[in-house]
Amino acid sequence: MTVPGNSTLGPPLGEPVEVGARVAAWDRVRADLTAYGTALIYAQLADLQPDLPEGEELRALLGRDWSRYLDLAHPAVRSRYAASRILLKFAAGAVLNGDPDDLELAYGPTGRPYLRGCDQIDISLSHTEDLLLVGLTTRGLIGVDAERTDRQMYGSGLGRHVCTPYELVTLASLEQEQRNPSLVRLWTLKEAYSKAIGQGMQFRFSEFGFGPDGKPVRVQRPDGTAGTGSEWAFRTFVLDTGYCVSAAVYDAGFGAVLDTDITTMLDQDAAEAITAALNEQE
Amino acid sequence: MSGIDDLGGFLRLLRTELGLQLSDRDAYTDLADVEGWDSLHLLRLVSLLEDETGRRIPVRQVLEARTFQQIHSLVAGGARAAAP
Repeated sequence: MTVPGNSTLGPPLGEPVEVGARVAAWDRVRADLTAYGTALIYAQLADLQPDLPEGEELRALLGRDWSRYLDLAHPAVRSRYAASRILLKFAAGAVLNGDPDDLELAYGPTGRPYLRGCDQIDISLSHTEDLLLVGLTTRGLIGVDAERTDRQMYGSGLGRHVCTPYELVTLASLEQEQRNPSLVRLWTLKEAYSKAIGQGMQFRFSEFGFGPDGKPVRVQRPDGTAGTGSEWAFRTFVLDTGYCVSAAVYDAGFGAVLDTDITTMLDQDAAEAITAALNEQE
Repeated sequence: MSGIDDLGGFLRLLRTELGLQLSDRDAYTDLADVEGWDSLHLLRLVSLLEDETGRRIPVRQVLEARTFQQIHSLVAGGARAAAP
């Protein structure tokens, strides 16, 4: 087990792309999605905040999230909530060549977000402190998570809730200064994986684990033996700003999707239902 | 239980051990609306409560709680049930 180190090994997945008021890198996001079937996007809340829309414009962008937004009383929580949804919609709009206003963010029974009517693209969202992170994939499922690498986790009693017995032993064998960042890496991987499968923390983190960085990362059983195969891809990156970012991507075998235009990505069932309805009217 | 028998003591634990800046009213605030609260805090709280009460705290039930008051009720209820 090692600290997260932006390993060049592991599955093909582009480094997280920064976007914001001063950095518009949507071409890179689109290129990543074409090349890897997956794109990771992040922004600093402070960069986005000055340009966040207000009033009716914000209401239109948030869509069904508007009422939830109004329910939030704490200004910082409210601002982060709006910024994260807007980043997600702009990212999805950029890769789908669609208007962010037209995209509807919906939530599954466990709170997992998805783009209604665009089932061929999966999304994930994470935010911590002033970092907003979005993951997009056309491969199948995605989960992303971020945490500060220096957030104190090791030695605070969290180990028994977060780690498998194998991971606890492995962490304890590391040099003192490597234990905390290694635990943060494990935490973000577990959060990303559990988000991808739509379980959140209902899936006990002590019942599945991860091996070291520096070679293909797999889900492990509590005793350290392999639990998943190559259909799952995991990567961890450390941003210059001190955040540890992990992504979990499930390859459902759809292959590379070269055309992500929204008219192509519309859910087939939805498209057929619309076509049938139009035919009935004729 | 000891210092967390009442809701005030429970909030003090949250302030001192987790560093959360909470008013007394935040006991009834939706957890999604508490600045700084996240899933890592939740597990840290479970650890603290287990140390404080000397028994296992059901993480699944804590996850379902929407407010600190509900978490406190869970823990206080469990302590009463476990009392001889």
